[in-house]
Amino acid sequence: MREELLKSFVDMDEQEAVRIARELVESDGGAVAVLETCKEAMEEVGRLFEAGEYFLSELIAAGDMFNQIMEFTLPKLQGDEVASIGTMVLGTVQGDVHNIGKDIFKVMAEASGINVIDIGIDVPHEKFVEAIKEHKPELVGMCCLITLGVDSMKRTIEVIKEAGLRDDIKIIIGGGRVSQAVMEHVGADAWADDAARGVRLSKELLGKE
Amino acid sequence: MAVDAKQLAAERAARLKAAVELKEPDRVPFTGIGGDVIAAYAGITSYEFNFDYEKQCQAIIKYVKDFPSDQPVIGMTGLGNHVASMAFSDYPDLYPIISRVDGPTNDILGVDYCRFPGRELDENSSPQFIGREYMSAEEYDELIADPVKFCFEKILPRIVRAFRDMKAPEAHAAMARLALEKAKAGAAMRDMFRQLQELGYAPGGLSVFFAPLDFIGDQLRDIPNLIKDLRRYPDKVKAATEAVLEPLLKVSVNAKGPGVETAMIPLHLNEYLSPALYNEFYWPTLKEGILRLAELGMKSQVFFEGRHDAHLETILELPAGWGTAYFEKTDVRKAKKLLQGHTCIMGGIDVGMVISSTPAKLDEYIKEILGEMMPGGGFILAPNIGNLPRETPIENIRAVYEAVEKYGKY
Ligand code: B12
Repeated sequence: MREELLKSFVDMDEQEAVRIARELVESDGGAVAVLETCKEAMEEVGRLFEAGEYFLSELIAAGDMFNQIMEFTLPKLQGDEVASIGTMVLGTVQGDVHNIGKDIFKVMAEASGINVIDIGIDVPHEKFVEAIKEHKPELVGMCCLITLGVDSMKRTIEVIKEAGLRDDIKIIIGGGRVSQAVMEHVGADAWADDAARGVRLSKELLGKE
Repeated sequence: MAVDAKQLAAERAARLKAAVELKEPDRVPFTGIGGDVIAAYAGITSYEFNFDYEKQCQAIIKYVKDFPSDQPVIGMTGLGNHVASMAFSDYPDLYPIISRVDGPTNDILGVDYCRFPGRELDENSSPQFIGREYMSAEEYDELIADPVKFCFEKILPRIVRAFRDMKAPEAHAAMARLALEKAKAGAAMRDMFRQLQELGYAPGGLSVFFAPLDFIGDQLRDIPNLIKDLRRYPDKVKAATEAVLEPLLKVSVNAKGPGVETAMIPLHLNEYLSPALYNEFYWPTLKEGILRLAELGMKSQVFFEGRHDAHLETILELPAGWGTAYFEKTDVRKAKKLLQGHTCIMGGIDVGMVISSTPAKLDEYIKEILGEMMPGGGFILAPNIGNLPRETPIENIRAVYEAVEKYGKY
């Protein structure tokens, strides 16, 4: 059944994937199997996306399927069965309200085992600082799709520095406006303008790959 | 218009026209680069730029004087009110009044998806558009049956606070106030166009058209919902794109006026869709729209936002000389290889570089891109994104204009 779940998930057969997951989750050890299979499926979808075979339409559909399945799977899992590989505070920077890319990245990151604290869109610099103090993440993710957001990221990172928190975290930036040059300009540690690469780099920054 | 201003305007227009007709003009046509930086350059806040017509006009004129190009750079002076344009599409004379939301208009209407500097936002922010789900999946049939009626009766009251109840005095008062305010704005606009004419720019502008699926995604369903609808209710979505095509064309015709012969078509969902979905749900009605606009006497300027690489070849289905393909992240050099002699290409200036690079590097970059893109004609130099933030170093902007001057001669 795991094979079938994997296949229907990766083939974007939403109804079938949800049906199998519902059945599987009721069996002994089924919830863990569903979780692992769905993570594997998300990874495969990400791989197909990086290879240019899948598009954002598939990433969005996959993210939605993943969320639907997790809604009835997570409550059946014990705490230690959903152990995370690290925590990330994630938000779209001040002045920018685009959220779709951030949300896609969030599901993919969660599927890879990262505990994501989503602090929303148009996030003021101080709110990043507060969230870092509160959640003590290893990673901070910033999303930026508009040119205005570039300086916003720069200032946010400055404010994080001033608060004395920069050395405790790694910063990865994403979204349509980021590049190697922008990463250097704002003083981040990594950049990705696609979610699959972003997840890969996040894991690297966590020393998990 | 003084004689030399008239001549200058004619030269500029001819340059752009030649490129669209796939020829080599005397110089590479250049649209100019600007945006929020226009207000900063004039020493005013974005709030002032968005709410004070006179200051806005002065700021634009100052910028255009110091940074001349083949099209005046106006910057972002408001957001579209596309549902209202459709709801009132049978009243062409109202188009200038209801089609755009600027600061003062938003004070009157209270548009749900708009936020303005100095109001909801910091006084130096850009205006924001934050869409959400205004139409439920259950309402597709109503949309399909009569899009104009549906937009007027169902969607407009959800989007415009003053139109919550069209029978209430509040709605009528808002309409009247809107007309008064737009009369004021219109006078300021005419004054600006007069000054622009003196600087050698013919009056004009762009009409607008949307890919039907984008209208549904951006204005009605919200993009993530629409992506799911494509799998859950494919037939309804397709029927809806066909139903909104006619009224969207009507709006484009309403926006046509003296000197307005080009329809700008900004694409949103192109980058999201796989070729299979693009060819099934997106391209057929977009293509038909472009062909119909041509019949109505308008050239299209399609802004292929994001990466359009996966769908580039479909452009060749249009007749040669159909219009202009404006690219954001797709490499214009790659596009040229495919489209030369068929489609005018626009873009080439990476705005990220203008913000964070140096004058020397920008000079080098413009030289290179022009060297590759100019030969054979059919190219318009433009920023890949129309908005330079306030903090953009002025010396970088200057470097771009100087480089175009230096290397832009055929
Ligand atoms: C859809 C869209 C919208 C939607 C947004 C819907 C939403 N809820 O997000 C709406 C219609 C609301 C909208 C509004 C506006 N938009 Co808009 N929009 C777009 C568009 C077409 C697509 C953006 C998008 O969703 N891309 C798809 C996502 C999935 O890509 P992504 O964000 O890059 O995410 C991927 C990766 O980057 C990565 N990722 C994402 N986040 C993160 C985070 C981390 C940490 C990592 C590692 C990775 C990662 O994973 C994702 C999947 O691979 C772009 C053009 C384009 N095609 O890029 C313009 C664009 C971004 N918008 C633009 C503009 C100007 C606006 C408006 C100002 C428009 C207006 N005049 O009304 C307002 C925004 C106001 C504001 N202040 O923010 C401009 C920005 C120009 C600029 N100034 O730089 C663009 C570039 C269009 C253009 N070419 O002019 N927009």
